[in-house]
Amino acid sequence: MLEISSTPLVIIAILGTIGVILPIISIARKETGSNSFYAVIAFAALIVSIGYVAYQFVTEHVLPSALFSEDVLVDDAFGGFFAIAMLIVAIFTTVGSFNYMRKQNHPAVYYSLILLSTIGMVLVAYSTDLVMLFVAWELMSIPTYVLAGFMKRNPSSNEAALKYFLFGALSSAIIVYGISISYGLTGSTNIGEVIQGYSTLDPSFLPLALLSVGLFIAGFGFKMGLVPFHMWLPDTYEGAPTPITTLLAAGTKKAGFAAAIRIIILGMVALNLDWTLALGIIAVMTMTIGNIAAIMQKNLARMLAYSSIGHAGYILIGLAVAPFSSMGIQGSMYHILNHAVMKGAAFIAVGGIVTTLAVTNLDKLKGLGRRMPITSLGLVISLLALAGVPPLNGFWSKLMLFGGALDASSSLSWAPWLAIAGVLNSALSLAYYGWIMRKMYFEGETEKRVSEPKSVIAVMIFSMIFMVALGVYPDPIIKFVEMASPTIGLGITP
Amino acid sequence: MSNELIDFVLVSVALLGIGIYGLSVKRNAIRMLFAVEIIINAANLNMVAFGRFLPHSGGQTLALFSIAIAAAEVAVGLSLIIVAYRMYQNIDIADFRSLKG
Repeated sequence: MLEISSTPLVIIAILGTIGVILPIISIARKETGSNSFYAVIAFAALIVSIGYVAYQFVTEHVLPSALFSEDVLVDDAFGGFFAIAMLIVAIFTTVGSFNYMRKQNHPAVYYSLILLSTIGMVLVAYSTDLVMLFVAWELMSIPTYVLAGFMKRNPSSNEAALKYFLFGALSSAIIVYGISISYGLTGSTNIGEVIQGYSTLDPSFLPLALLSVGLFIAGFGFKMGLVPFHMWLPDTYEGAPTPITTLLAAGTKKAGFAAAIRIIILGMVALNLDWTLALGIIAVMTMTIGNIAAIMQKNLARMLAYSSIGHAGYILIGLAVAPFSSMGIQGSMYHILNHAVMKGAAFIAVGGIVTTLAVTNLDKLKGLGRRMPITSLGLVISLLALAGVPPLNGFWSKLMLFGGALDASSSLSWAPWLAIAGVLNSALSLAYYGWIMRKMYFEGETEKRVSEPKSVIAVMIFSMIFMVALGVYPDPIIKFVEMASPTIGLGITP
Repeated sequence: MSNELIDFVLVSVALLGIGIYGLSVKRNAIRMLFAVEIIINAANLNMVAFGRFLPHSGGQTLALFSIAIAAAEVAVGLSLIIVAYRMYQNIDIADFRSLKG
């Protein structure tokens, strides 16, 4: 039994209560239109939650990465790691919306939906039962469909939401179908029991088991933005309100990876299959197509959306080599945390630029370094970190990912090619990041400084400190990742 | 006349195929939504049949969860489609092309 003071239950209690109460307060106050009140409450709830997760880690109430349990949720270090990453993203989103939502209607509903979606993301990382995972997945997805279309008078916001909804609904339908097959084959929905059932499966049922793992990859792949399933992603990231894009790119995408690590990787290991090649090919395709498409974009948000597809490819390298190298999965988790902060900061900066100057076209960003110096500095540092320039944090996680690929070369002869593809793609990505920086700092002469939104500055300062400090001194975070990452080896018995 | 498990599974696989066909061919938002619903119901049929014919427990409960969640999803989806209809007087997603690149 899960204790009442365990992290997932406390997070449900805090965020759920506040998330339900916020709209009620707004009805009672007859919608005065000031959104800062609701934003502050949501912010406080998120800070309390992240504080509780950290407190549980410090007082060592957290189990080591268990991955399996008899309950539907487990309070382990793996879930705690993802909970911290997702709560950071939710805090970025809330603070970044502060300015964005100033003139919009229904702020209480907006913040309440952010909190509810955050509960879903956190629970996805903690769940050890397929039904719990599905419920959490939908709790995460349904609020984001509404949030993506929140600007309901804006055609592109609506279009973004509709495309996102159709693909999101397809992804959850596919996941339910996968769950139904694995339930039929093993008679249970507990992930541990499913995997145990798979490893002792009658060989004549193997095609069905393969089908279920394939359906899980497709279903989670839609949210992760892997290449054959990425069609919706650039449109949605461009059209949705920019703070919500942060939530999608940095939050729900990472929840997809959390679910993938818990199910797909272990399922592959249990089925004794060589899916490494398939995942490796998807990884290389994802990063190459994402980065090449990003070069051709004229819109900053759309360029970052394609770059986020590319990063999904880097993270997938770690998952592909996971059965052969523990460094791969550690690199994946490290890059997930880093990418959440880097991409979150970049999209919040774009949101600040959109609200202040109302431009997202790259040609109109000339002289941005003089007009909005702090936002520009934050954007530049996060872009450099995304490209993996030392000594920023992105460098270390990429080093670990590519090192994991090299580490696996003793059992996989083609694994070093994954590292080579990753390095080439990082170099390619530096090209378009460099183009943005050139526009911002070396073009345009006469621009005057404009006042920057304070909430955006706060996010920028926090993320700059995170990226630079943990880039110069990465030891504590690497220790944390090593502690939180599950050990996956061939022949695992849950 | 006796019903076997395989009949239900075959119907469910056929429904999955119909759903995927509908999603990839149709461009009307409501038709696509219905295609997704067909896939979810194929999964429900699977779960109920497995729960009935195999010595497993809980298949019906799973189906109830999935029906409830699908209902929530449809409510959100239909409201998005209504907003789109008010804006464009049309729900053909091939005509939504303000986002391109």
